[in-house]
Amino acid sequence: MNKEIKLSVNNLKVSFRTDGGKVQAVRDISFDLYKGETLAIVGESGSGKSVTSKAIMGISAGNSIYEGGEILYDGQDLIRIPEEEMHKLRGDKIAMIFQDPLSALNPIMRIGKQITEAMLLKNKANRKEGRETFNKTLAELSDMMKKALAENPSAGFSAADVDKYIKTFDGFNIQAIKLENSYNESRTATEEMMAVIEDVLFLSENKQKVDVVAKLSLIKRKLKDINDKYFTSNYGETLKAHAVSLDSCMRAERKKVGVMESAKKLAGGNASKNETSTETVAALEELKKTAKEMLEQTPYNFFRIGYYVYKNPNADLSKMSADEANEMALQFLNENFMNSFIALEKIAVQYSFKNTLANKKDAIAALENAINFFKAGNFSEKDADAACKSVNKSVLAAIDPLAVIKDNIAYTFGGALEREVEKYFFILKNNPKEEERFKRQTAKREALLAKGKTVDWEVIPMSIIEPEVQIETMVSVLNRVMDKFNADVAAAESFDAEKRCLEIIDFLKEKAAQVVYKLTKYIAKERAIKLMEEVGIPEARMRYRQYPFEFSGGMRQRIVIAIALSANPDILICDEPTTALDVTIQAQILELINRLKKERNLSIIFITHDLGVVANMADRIAVMYAGKIVEYGTAEEVFYNPQHPYTWALLSSMPDLDTNEKLDAIPGTPPNMIYPPVGDAFAERNKYALEIDFEMQPPMYEVSPTHFAATWLLHPNAPKVELPKIITERIKRMKERGGNHGEE
Amino acid sequence: MEKNNEVLLKVDHLCQYFRLGHKDMKAVDDVSFEIHKGESFGLVGESGCGKTTTGRSIIKLYDITSGNIYFKGQRIGAGTRSYKDAITAARADAAKKIKLLNTEKKAGYQEEIKKVQEERDAVIAQNRALIRDAKSDSKEVDKQYQESLLKDLETEYAEKFKAAGADSVKLAALKKEYRTRCRVAKKSKLITQIQMIFQDPIASLDPRMTVRDIIAEGLVINGITDKDYINEKVYEILETVGLVREHADRYPHEFSGGQRQRIGIARAIVMQPEMIIADEPISALDVSIQAQVINLLNELRESLGLTIMFIAHDLSVVKYFSDRIGVMYFGKMVELADSDELFKNPLHPYTKSLLSAIPLPDPVYEKQRTRIHYNPIAEHDYSVDKPSFREITPGHFVQCNDAEEEKYRKQIK
Repeated sequence: MNKEIKLSVNNLKVSFRTDGGKVQAVRDISFDLYKGETLAIVGESGSGKSVTSKAIMGISAGNSIYEGGEILYDGQDLIRIPEEEMHKLRGDKIAMIFQDPLSALNPIMRIGKQITEAMLLKNKANRKEGRETFNKTLAELSDMMKKALAENPSAGFSAADVDKYIKTFDGFNIQAIKLENSYNESRTATEEMMAVIEDVLFLSENKQKVDVVAKLSLIKRKLKDINDKYFTSNYGETLKAHAVSLDSCMRAERKKVGVMESAKKLAGGNASKNETSTETVAALEELKKTAKEMLEQTPYNFFRIGYYVYKNPNADLSKMSADEANEMALQFLNENFMNSFIALEKIAVQYSFKNTLANKKDAIAALENAINFFKAGNFSEKDADAACKSVNKSVLAAIDPLAVIKDNIAYTFGGALEREVEKYFFILKNNPKEEERFKRQTAKREALLAKGKTVDWEVIPMSIIEPEVQIETMVSVLNRVMDKFNADVAAAESFDAEKRCLEIIDFLKEKAAQVVYKLTKYIAKERAIKLMEEVGIPEARMRYRQYPFEFSGGMRQRIVIAIALSANPDILICDEPTTALDVTIQAQILELINRLKKERNLSIIFITHDLGVVANMADRIAVMYAGKIVEYGTAEEVFYNPQHPYTWALLSSMPDLDTNEKLDAIPGTPPNMIYPPVGDAFAERNKYALEIDFEMQPPMYEVSPTHFAATWLLHPNAPKVELPKIITERIKRMKERGGNHGEE
Repeated sequence: MEKNNEVLLKVDHLCQYFRLGHKDMKAVDDVSFEIHKGESFGLVGESGCGKTTTGRSIIKLYDITSGNIYFKGQRIGAGTRSYKDAITAARADAAKKIKLLNTEKKAGYQEEIKKVQEERDAVIAQNRALIRDAKSDSKEVDKQYQESLLKDLETEYAEKFKAAGADSVKLAALKKEYRTRCRVAKKSKLITQIQMIFQDPIASLDPRMTVRDIIAEGLVINGITDKDYINEKVYEILETVGLVREHADRYPHEFSGGQRQRIGIARAIVMQPEMIIADEPISALDVSIQAQVINLLNELRESLGLTIMFIAHDLSVVKYFSDRIGVMYFGKMVELADSDELFKNPLHPYTKSLLSAIPLPDPVYEKQRTRIHYNPIAEHDYSVDKPSFREITPGHFVQCNDAEEEKYRKQIK
């Protein structure tokens, strides 16, 4: 299977500090999540399912300790990156749907506002960030060009040239932004006008009364705002005609209102709300048609046109069709500017790459030193700090400033290492105290026992992390960067400067576009309504203005899904999303999630304890018990060929439609994770447990390349155990049903 | 389990409306069914369809709007709304007729008016009598039950007294026992023969009471004062539901979810009821514990001969647990049949849609399962021919009108 890995969890260990001691909630779990697949995590409550998902989201409780392991997403270790970096991922790239939709929504905010809130805030932040990055990158580029030229004077460019080129680039980009801004403003006005028209048409269709005059004057104002010459190039006359017809409509409506008012004044009512007349509806329909056409026309490429206009301020390309103008401007741009700009850029890129390559080699040496330093142990806090700082400095120097696709590992390295070192000294300071307390308590208990008294309390175990383990973690952080740099150095041969140049220009363009792209409330509303329709909410336009309590459970869950999807995430974590819902609604929500997964190519982590739901959703399944994954495989493998006794117990404890015999309930309760069992955690409740199960933890045995189970029963020397009858029979039935499913 | 045809509970045209502003919210609308002794009756439907309301109306947690509930042949609940409606309708009808007659002024219209008035008065009197009956029934039912209990006690102890003969010490003890039991009998109510298990084991147990207090509360209310007897009873019940004696002095928060639900069950069966209404007893529990509770309920049903009304929305559990199943949709019972029959031959389109939504632990089957959508407006045309609850084959009832009845009959053959 050669699938792209989106998220990978390796040897994750999470514990919670409590009064009673350290609760080991997740003990050493690893799994990968592929793009476009659903991974289901199954287990009873307290098995660590939710803790895992919260660790991925970075929303673990305050008393949690990450004892080791890593969660890799896009090259970054999610449990070690700073909160600001995590903030960029959370919700944007990784979204989560919670179990109870009512508590996930704000009860005193309208649904619409809750969906659009994040969109609007993110847009504002994006624009600011875009402007800053654009300026910074351009400054760096100019800096690098000058440095490169100073070293290589025979390149055919002078420092003055650089200034000129950068100034031109900046200047025509500003020109392009201006043009595009004005274009987009008209476009926005058109979209907003569409939104208002949709509102009026929707209300009049449902025979509801509207304040028509006010709405018409709003539409007229918006119509006036559509004045960009590029945007309206082919529609000038049509728009004028529309304005005229709107005027006449308005007069008619006003008259009607006037008549009604005088009639109503006697009755003491308010007459401004009225049913829309058919003429107005027709005029609005026409206007809507035109607006739609305008929105669908081929856009101008303002990056190219910007340069043309920058050079010829009096030129007007709006007379040409978009295609022609784009073509002509491109030629002009390439001949006069771009070709030589790229040549200059190439020199800078090559220079910077060569520099960083040398720096990288230095950094690798520094990293090696640091690894040896930490591995040796026995270092003082001051030394460790200095070592951290120096290695971080050389790593940062090795980041190519012109590499627009940021090297996340190196970028977040410094903070991660510092935090780990801090933790190491914290451990050194606190562990002796813990040990002392533990000794004291044990001695007291033993003294009491020796006196023959009954002791009804247990010694609180040490909540200790071994310093050696912590050093290993630190070394692994260093190693990851070193591996990355080594790979980079090895790949230096195939570096393509041309490609990097185009990347930089594209990046600058993208940032400039980010500045221009403005999301107004009206547009956000339209987008939210589209999203609500996508998740299957009928009459979204009306529902938009309602409060959460006006929705049923299933509808609320749909809203939560819509909010999660509004940022277009890569990964969706569903924490028991249907447990609070009943069968029919549950089926609907599951279908919805499945459909969205297919449409948007989402990767989903689906947490549940309902095996029926898992069968429907999952591509692969991980069965968790007491903080460990006990079985891991594709859905077919886990359901048709289960290997772990706990999976058997889960399967046989729920009836299906043909079950008549007594259910095999799992006796007892899950173990207390303050005192985790030495052997297999499930051994105590397991009727198939072997002696070794109580003494040693079973390793993961491979059943097939995709199917693993941690049970001693798979050991070659283990006695053969028959599956419980209830499961073998069910599998037989399922196979029969699978064979002739045509009848179903 | 052999079939027992003795009807234990009969629900007859039960309506439960709630006031919602100026309108009525019809939570349960004209539902009728019977539960036989010793069987397990499942009630399914989506949330908000009135399953729980039906259960609560039976146990008289609500005053029912109209309809009758019979338990062991005695009417324990009766609503008066339908009779009041009949009176209002009769009055309005008569007023209309009189007005018409008055305007037309045909020959002998005075007599006609008199006749109409007489008819009206007869209807009103009849319905008033019914209302009086209903009211007195719900009051008298406990009195009658107490009297019958006392009578039983009297005959029982008359023999014992005779056997004791001249032994004055024994006689005195017997007399004392007789007096206490009479006092208990005078306080007992028929409705205590039906007990309820609630959905949420956390919310339904008082956090400030020990398990002993919780279980014994019903006994204390019933007038039992003998501490030793109560303790004995509590321990016995705890062991029946799979807990141990030591648990009696703990508080609910010290227990896991499954154990809490066991306490809820213990509280219900300590009153030695004949019938238990289990309102989604497992939906708030964890997977592994669900099976424990289902097995426990099944054991209790066999050992104590309980009749259980099982309300749930998990269809595979209901199928496993119940002998007969009623399907509810928006306050109406749409289908009622033996559980095997219902799953083999679902007739009503809503039932079909519900059955098609059950998730099964079978990935191949699950991935090709198609859900049937139910749209009541498209499915039924009730504009002319109103539907009613009809028996298609023996024991299989469906809500349908004439055309549909014919269609269903053909389908089942």
